[in-house]
Amino acid sequence: MRKTWLIIKREYLAGVKTRAFILTTIGLPLMGAGFVLLIMFLANRQPTQTFRLVIVDEAGGMAWSVSQGLDAKLPNGQPEFTIVESVDRPPSPDRVQDDLRSRINSGALDGYLLVPADLSQSAELHTHNPGNFSLEGPLTAAVNRAVILKRLDARGVHVEDASAIANAPDLKLIKVSKTGESVEKGQSIGIAIAVVVLLYVSLVAYGVITMRSVLEEKTTRTMEVLVSSVRPFELLAGKVLGVAGLAFSQLLIWAVSAALLVSYGALMTKASGATSPTSDVHIPGSLVVYVVLFFVGGYFLYSAMFAAIGAACSSEQDAQYLQWIAMGPLVFTMFIYTLILTDPSSTLSIVLSEIPFFAPVLMPLRISLQTPAFWQIGLSILLLFLTAVGVIYASGKIYRIGVLMYGKRPTIPELARWLRYS
Amino acid sequence: MPVGQEERQFGARAGTATLEKNGNSGVAVSLENVTKSYDGVTAVDAVSLQVRQGAILGLLGPNGAGKTTTIRMVMNILIPDEGSIRVFGEPVSDETRQAIGYLPEERGLYPRMEVRRVIVFLAALRGLSESEAEKRANEWLARFDLSDWAEKKVHDLSKGMQQKVQFICAVLHKPKIVILDEPFSGLDPVNTATVKDIMLELRDQGSTIVLSTHRIEQVEKMCDSICLIDKGHNILAGDLRAIKQSYGKNTVNIEFSGPDGFLNHPAIASVNRFASGAEAKLKPGADPQEILKLAVESGARINHFELLEPSLNDIFIEKTGHA
Repeated sequence: MRKTWLIIKREYLAGVKTRAFILTTIGLPLMGAGFVLLIMFLANRQPTQTFRLVIVDEAGGMAWSVSQGLDAKLPNGQPEFTIVESVDRPPSPDRVQDDLRSRINSGALDGYLLVPADLSQSAELHTHNPGNFSLEGPLTAAVNRAVILKRLDARGVHVEDASAIANAPDLKLIKVSKTGESVEKGQSIGIAIAVVVLLYVSLVAYGVITMRSVLEEKTTRTMEVLVSSVRPFELLAGKVLGVAGLAFSQLLIWAVSAALLVSYGALMTKASGATSPTSDVHIPGSLVVYVVLFFVGGYFLYSAMFAAIGAACSSEQDAQYLQWIAMGPLVFTMFIYTLILTDPSSTLSIVLSEIPFFAPVLMPLRISLQTPAFWQIGLSILLLFLTAVGVIYASGKIYRIGVLMYGKRPTIPELARWLRYS
Repeated sequence: MPVGQEERQFGARAGTATLEKNGNSGVAVSLENVTKSYDGVTAVDAVSLQVRQGAILGLLGPNGAGKTTTIRMVMNILIPDEGSIRVFGEPVSDETRQAIGYLPEERGLYPRMEVRRVIVFLAALRGLSESEAEKRANEWLARFDLSDWAEKKVHDLSKGMQQKVQFICAVLHKPKIVILDEPFSGLDPVNTATVKDIMLELRDQGSTIVLSTHRIEQVEKMCDSICLIDKGHNILAGDLRAIKQSYGKNTVNIEFSGPDGFLNHPAIASVNRFASGAEAKLKPGADPQEILKLAVESGARINHFELLEPSLNDIFIEKTGHA
């Protein structure tokens, strides 16, 4: 126990003093904040240029009605769209479109809207940049509105003020949870994605730190000296716990500085009388507890695997191959989490979040979106910790043999054989 | 603790019992018919060896003879294919190596840790209190002239200095057994002498020392017993005095001036000529007196004439037929 403690202490002190630890402790939150600001900036970015549009109206009598719906103004006061020209029922549509395409390519025009003769078909926007999402909303609304008015007209309903009928209010999303209701402005998804990214990144990062640390002892042959005083299992335990200490120090620094920043921000906005941008963000305490719990379980599960991989390899290159054994399930959660985001209570979501190798990321994700039944959380935690114990035991065996084995990288069947040794 | 380790411990206890019954306490390390091969190459072939408690054993042989492999098996770093190894009567295990201070052939120190910290850390793992470890570390660093380097990182030290630090780590806690694999590599003559002195001190304090080196002539005066290894085979083992005596005084050291024709005498097997004389190895049964007589008669002026035991190097060459 004393020896394990000595190893923990050394591991922790050696880690805390590295440049990498100091840089990531300060740098990662700054980088994260930078990304969030960039995304917010890009998402809220308004177009500044008026869009030069031609309406090709194959149905006839639609162009005016559509252009009425495109009266929005840009933030700089300019109209969002100008209708350069309307073509009513062109006799040779193909030729007209050819001509318009060459005008777009020459830069004289930004796009043309094709209203089909059969109004049950889709309208088409032809433009050089279809990725500009800010066009889609107003154009769709304008076309829909024109089509509705046309159909009302056909049924003999004449409307003086079209917008009074066709303009509907936007949809407002409200999240229902056991703690009450709150207006949704994307913060639920935001928190969910933050939980996923935080867990994924920390499990991978601290796992790799553990692996590297084992590998360093092997490549510098310090291991040969260490094993003459410590049992390999004590060494493994000390290493995993030492890096755990690093992880908790770092996460604690981040959590405390984030809390200070948020309360400082709230104080400042309150003083200035504005509403705080963070006042809608409410992180329930239970979520924090679950995230910590799943991180602990996940950390022991994965860092034991990473440590065993470090022990089995003799060089960084070897480790880069074998680390996928541990990295694979974590990367898989990054591919699969969007499925859970859209339907957190589906059978697939439930099953995936109960699998111990995915649970550390996926169960906190489900909890943040829509707290599942307690038995699901409890079972997931139980399975996770049981598996972690099993994996630590198996890793201990691989570690015991691997730490003193040099030479070629072991294959997976060889690793399996090591499990049966000793 | 994994089940396997417990089994090993039970094995170890059983070993203790037989040891006590046999009263076989004079042996610190014993190897019996130990064989180890890698990828079809036999590195150690049926080596048997006993290291007496409180003695210095020289494990000698050229590079690639199998010395390091043998040591690693004693350290339970490698597992022998055949044969058995016992430390104080117990089969080697994770437990038995705790009694051994080990200096590996390659450097095994955390490169980015400060010198004194590494020493104190490794000593604390060996059960010393940190304050005691620090006190002893300072003494040892002073003895090796490394006090100014105590706060430097290990990777800032030269190879020879790292070797000294590694040596300190192996002996600081006064282990019952010290295994040193090429302890003199990278050391200058002054430090080599210091290391030799310390080894003798440790032996006098009761430690058992296994010293492995390919530089046979460097250690022959300090070993109590030797084990010559070549190509994985144990070619000669036992008490150094007894071995030398069994070879008799078959070498003549003669310093002279004048003609050297007498050195072609048929009783002389080989000659090593120096500026001031020669060392002549005699054929078995030859009389050294004959050589002296011949030299005087041939007109050479004899300044010094001495009968010598063969050097370990000579014995090694005779045994293996190569240097």
